[in-house]
Amino acid sequence: MSKLSQVFKALKSKKIVMDNVSDDDNMPLNKEIKKNISEVSKVLGNSFDIVIREFKIGKNPIEACLFYTDGLIDKDLVHNYVLENLMIDGRKAESDEKISSNQDMYNFIKNSSLTSVELTEIDTFQALYQHLLSGDTIVLLNGVSKGFAVGSRGWEDRGVQEPSSQQVVRGPKDAFSETLRTNTALIRRRIKDQNLWIETQKIGKKSKTDVAIAYINGVVNEDIVLEIKERLKKIEIDAILDSGYIEELIQDEIYTPFPTIFNTERPDAVSAGILEGRVAIIVDGSPFVLLAPALFIDFFQSSEDYYQRSDIGSLLRILRFFCFFLALLTPSAFIALTTFHQEMIPTTLLTSLAAQREGVPFPAFIEALIMEITFEILREAGIRLPRAVGSAISIVGALVLGQAAVEAGIVSATMVIVVSLTAISSFVSPTYNMAISVRILRFGFMILAATFGLVGIILGLIIMGLHLSSLRSFGIPYLSPMAPFIPSDQDDALIRLPVWIKENRPRLISQIDVKREATEQPKPPPK
Amino acid sequence: MKKNGSKALLLFMTIFLLTGCWSSRELSDLAVVTALGIDKHEDGYKLTVQVMDPGEIAGKDLTTRTSVTTYSMTGKTVFEALRRLTVTTPRKLYLSHLRIILLGQEFSEGGISQSLDFISRDHEMRLEFSLMITKNMEAEKALKILTPIEKIPANKIYSSLQTAQDNWAPAKIVELDELVSSLTVPGKEAVLTGLSAVGSPEVGAQIENVEVVDSHTIVNIDEIGVFKDDKLVGWFNENESKGFNYITDNVRNTIGWVECGKEEEGTISVEVTKNETKLKGSIDSNLPKITIETTIEANIADVECAIDVYDQSKIKEIEGKLKKKIEEIIKESIGKAKELNSDVFGFGQVLSRQEPKQWKQLKDNWDKEFADLDIEVKVKFNIRGTGTITETLLGNMK
Repeated sequence: MSKLSQVFKALKSKKIVMDNVSDDDNMPLNKEIKKNISEVSKVLGNSFDIVIREFKIGKNPIEACLFYTDGLIDKDLVHNYVLENLMIDGRKAESDEKISSNQDMYNFIKNSSLTSVELTEIDTFQALYQHLLSGDTIVLLNGVSKGFAVGSRGWEDRGVQEPSSQQVVRGPKDAFSETLRTNTALIRRRIKDQNLWIETQKIGKKSKTDVAIAYINGVVNEDIVLEIKERLKKIEIDAILDSGYIEELIQDEIYTPFPTIFNTERPDAVSAGILEGRVAIIVDGSPFVLLAPALFIDFFQSSEDYYQRSDIGSLLRILRFFCFFLALLTPSAFIALTTFHQEMIPTTLLTSLAAQREGVPFPAFIEALIMEITFEILREAGIRLPRAVGSAISIVGALVLGQAAVEAGIVSATMVIVVSLTAISSFVSPTYNMAISVRILRFGFMILAATFGLVGIILGLIIMGLHLSSLRSFGIPYLSPMAPFIPSDQDDALIRLPVWIKENRPRLISQIDVKREATEQPKPPPK
Repeated sequence: MKKNGSKALLLFMTIFLLTGCWSSRELSDLAVVTALGIDKHEDGYKLTVQVMDPGEIAGKDLTTRTSVTTYSMTGKTVFEALRRLTVTTPRKLYLSHLRIILLGQEFSEGGISQSLDFISRDHEMRLEFSLMITKNMEAEKALKILTPIEKIPANKIYSSLQTAQDNWAPAKIVELDELVSSLTVPGKEAVLTGLSAVGSPEVGAQIENVEVVDSHTIVNIDEIGVFKDDKLVGWFNENESKGFNYITDNVRNTIGWVECGKEEEGTISVEVTKNETKLKGSIDSNLPKITIETTIEANIADVECAIDVYDQSKIKEIEGKLKKKIEEIIKESIGKAKELNSDVFGFGQVLSRQEPKQWKQLKDNWDKEFADLDIEVKVKFNIRGTGTITETLLGNMK
């Protein structure tokens, strides 16, 4: 173990060295515009999506230049409010105002000409590249060692669509998309509170991805915010391509199959999390927003629990927990019962199981393993498959592998039922990553069941329980409010009580501004 | 990390200390024994097992093969015979799903206690099976008779026994723990229900037996056999068996009939829906006495005479007759038990519980005391309902 971690360490330090090499262009802009232009095109390698437009301003023409990245800008905005203003106003200005130097022109442009909202002054190449590559338009004037970055971001966007992985029947149907700004707007639209704070920072040496953290000041536990900021600050990586990178880099426990950070593409779920006192981490380029801290029970709660009546919401939650164990243990329990504890099976059931197993060439464990692996292959293929051939997989899966395998006597019909039940149960989980944990653990339980029978399964459950109770998510015990048991939080744990009962925020997550609502129990008017 | 690893390993090792069922056996490696028969043999015991063929019971393509197979083997002990059976059986015998153990009549008359040790010691058996005696035949023959409808003869025997006990009364499921306690606890003798065959057992072992509408040979639940110590000494008849169940509070549902009366010709039958029997024991100056208090509730089920069931006095009359009849049945049963000198009702046990001190003096001499035991029978009979029609059809005939 220690040897392995040494290797990891060595690899890690090497990576840092590699990253440091390319970070040396913190040099100031030149006064001479030609030099600046040639420097920019040299550094950017004459990339064909970088547009350099040289032009002149005023009657005593001052050389000027405009850079932008094609595809990342709103061209209308650059036409109407940047180029047009500079070229037309520049002429007028000379007659109206006293402009004797390039610096005067610069100030005039800054104060009276550029009618754009977002305007940043830049004076280094590094800043220039960063704005340019983020979609801003850069304006440089000859003779001034400063420039403008005009906010002109505008690119093709998927727009706000329906969520693809966490659908509900009743409830909001919008989902996050890949653009950070859209995503923060979706949260803002739900929580119009001045205390909803959204802070951003750039992470990734090369990708320079915007990562925002959102929380409600005064509700959130400040230690958690500080801890998250601290962990984000420690990230040293070349690129963040999805929030999954962040999740992996800041999670508490590495050696666990269970997710300790929640992710969702539903703005309502994120808003609900923020209102409970959690911190949302929004990553540009990813429709999946992270919520921390995350508890075990969070992965069994769907937004819809709160939108439907509380009784059905509670029942569905219990069903999900039941399905969690079903997905985890059905194959292993079946293996244990049929190979170790035949005396526990009712005689008539045993007869029919035995009849099916006559002629099956493999032991029950191998049989289950074959079917489980087949199912995993089918599932993986189903995701990667081009949509046009999607129906083929169901035919192959259902007919060829299910029916034909049974008819050929390679697996027993009961095993197909067991595996199907397991598969369907694992899809009940409202969050995909908890379903993945179950998928991994299931195989462990099957091996335990095949070697030790029910003793093995119980042992596995004990180890799993111990492991779960040792987990923490940003300092919060993973199994709370079950272990430690918090009576006041039980109103929204295994079951969901009506909203007028759930008065307080979860106790461990938020300890300030605890009160959530004080609506009285609705009473029918007297008859 | 290293420390945690070794801790986890240590924790894992502890499961080897746990007891449990270790050996894994695939379902297709088991020969599931449904019934066990024990007969007397000159070498010691003759053991017969009835093994089911799951493929013939629940398989997809049924052939004309029989659904069960029997194997017989002799041995000095039951266990030896069972293990010697492996030379003839294709797979290891699996005893957990045993439904019935049949003891041959001849074997039972010679004493059964020695054979029971293995059965109660073996860990593999669930204690859910019933023990029975095969009346006038060997257990081996009874196990070979094929039964229609229920493909596993052992299941047919067990479920017949159960329905007979629950709905007819002169039968009793005796499981191993009850039998063992009857054999070991003083003041109670054992009983086992009998099993008999109608028709030739040899014909019953042929597949033709289940290919015809009217099976040539059928197995029947018979009356209750009475043991003295561990030896079968005699049989109750049907009424005595029923009486036995009334006394031991084992009647769940049964029927009874009486003549309607002097004017009306015919019979009236009632369905007994509830029975509660309390046994009270007392010892007055070394004279033991048992009081049997039975409360019976019944519904009128079958009126085959022109009687007015609305007439309360008539009902009272019928109740009185039924009460008398039950008393007679109970007394008959006690009479037979006294004749066989076997306290199958557990009267001794009742006394030992209620008069433990005086029982100690009676204990050694209980056989003699039982023969002269003073027994008082008190029966309360209540008719509760009259069924879905009120007047009998006979009264309204044209």
